[in-house]
Amino acid sequence: MAAKLTKTERAYARKVKDAVQLLFFKHHRLPGVRGWELRKELGRDWRNVLDVLDKQIKPLDLRVTQAFDEPDIVEPTSAQLQDARYYITLRGTVDQKTAKTIGWRIDDIAGLAVSVAYLISKQGKAPRVDVERVLQEKLPGWRVKLNLDRYIQQGYLGADEQGVMYLDWRSRAEIDNKKLVDLVVGFGKKNREA
Amino acid sequence: MSSELESVISLCRMVQSGRIEPFDIDFDYVMGVIRKHYPKIKNVKGFCLDAEALKELSNVLERQNQWIAHKSSTLYKDPFMLSQSLMRMDIGAIADAFLKSWHPVVEMEQISARTLAESLGYWGGLIPLDERWQGLEVAERETGTATMQEAYDLGLILTEGFAGLLEGFWRELGERAGVGGVIDYWDWIGADTYRDTVYRAYMTVFMVSHGYANIHHDRLTEETKIIHNPELRPDPEKPKVSLLMMVDYEEWRLWRQS
Repeated sequence: MAAKLTKTERAYARKVKDAVQLLFFKHHRLPGVRGWELRKELGRDWRNVLDVLDKQIKPLDLRVTQAFDEPDIVEPTSAQLQDARYYITLRGTVDQKTAKTIGWRIDDIAGLAVSVAYLISKQGKAPRVDVERVLQEKLPGWRVKLNLDRYIQQGYLGADEQGVMYLDWRSRAEIDNKKLVDLVVGFGKKNREA
Repeated sequence: MSSELESVISLCRMVQSGRIEPFDIDFDYVMGVIRKHYPKIKNVKGFCLDAEALKELSNVLERQNQWIAHKSSTLYKDPFMLSQSLMRMDIGAIADAFLKSWHPVVEMEQISARTLAESLGYWGGLIPLDERWQGLEVAERETGTATMQEAYDLGLILTEGFAGLLEGFWRELGERAGVGGVIDYWDWIGADTYRDTVYRAYMTVFMVSHGYANIHHDRLTEETKIIHNPELRPDPEKPKVSLLMMVDYEEWRLWRQS
């Protein structure tokens, strides 16, 4: 029995290593791996392998993040799980000082936050001119266009041919939408109470 | 009639593009417009417009359904309240809120151990360049001489100029089809041997592309006809037409039997 257990453990350790290579290294144009790809490489227990990996990278402040194409999915089906994208993301958050060292200006971060919050409030879609108008309240016009193009290029926002903006893959993978909206609305309440 | 339906369609499309909220559309009003116009439809275009209006209205209903689902989710916050909060916050506070909900993706673009091992395997199996790019094996042959007649017999030299050959063919076409007449393609190119048939087809292609004759292909009956051009006016400046003609051996054999 003990020998069998060791064999299982060895198999899991090997699969976790495979999962690390799949998730840490970029295999496609975009980072992240689809559930069905993980299932193909890791086998039927791929979800358990991800759980083990998630526990192992926790001390490093990292986690395995699952992102669905549709943001409102609460109880995913097996098909939706296999269609989701999986990433390794920071478990905690970064402060302004660290954000600056990785190339983000405070204006850029605020602009992205406003764009994302505005799109969430509009059910994830809004014309670009509307997003620009909201940003222009606090940022100079030339910077607004530049920033929006940069957010699109980085995969946070997307824009279709009709000029309608939406939240793209990076926002779904990296931003805790609920927390962001709660913090913004909470700030307003706090101020009113004060 | 159509302008009212078209404006209803564009109104519904504004919901899809996020320009207006899904519940800004009055379903009963839009349905009333569609119902009003339905009995007056007289042609296919009218039916298409009616169907398009119905499709756009059903998309609005779908968006209304999504809106309710979104509003009942924990993610929903009143857009007005949200925008007011954003207006009140300074840039530093907005950035702080974002950073508290931001978990950047970790990714490495370096070569992995697996790709390194695979690359080494590929390198090991790669044949050296001097083996892959071996020169052509050339054997030295003694030079010889040939008479003019031998060159004619081998087809290396034409007995007359190419234009002369074409004119000869054009005259033959005029005799067989009549001046400005029409002849079936196979009756024209068909000869006793397959080799001669291919030769005639080859020359016919040049005749057509140089303006000595025309070709007509009936897609329905799959019949091809060659039409004689009464006036011989080849224009070297005129762009030439490229033709692709099949001379199938089996088809030639059947033609010969018939």
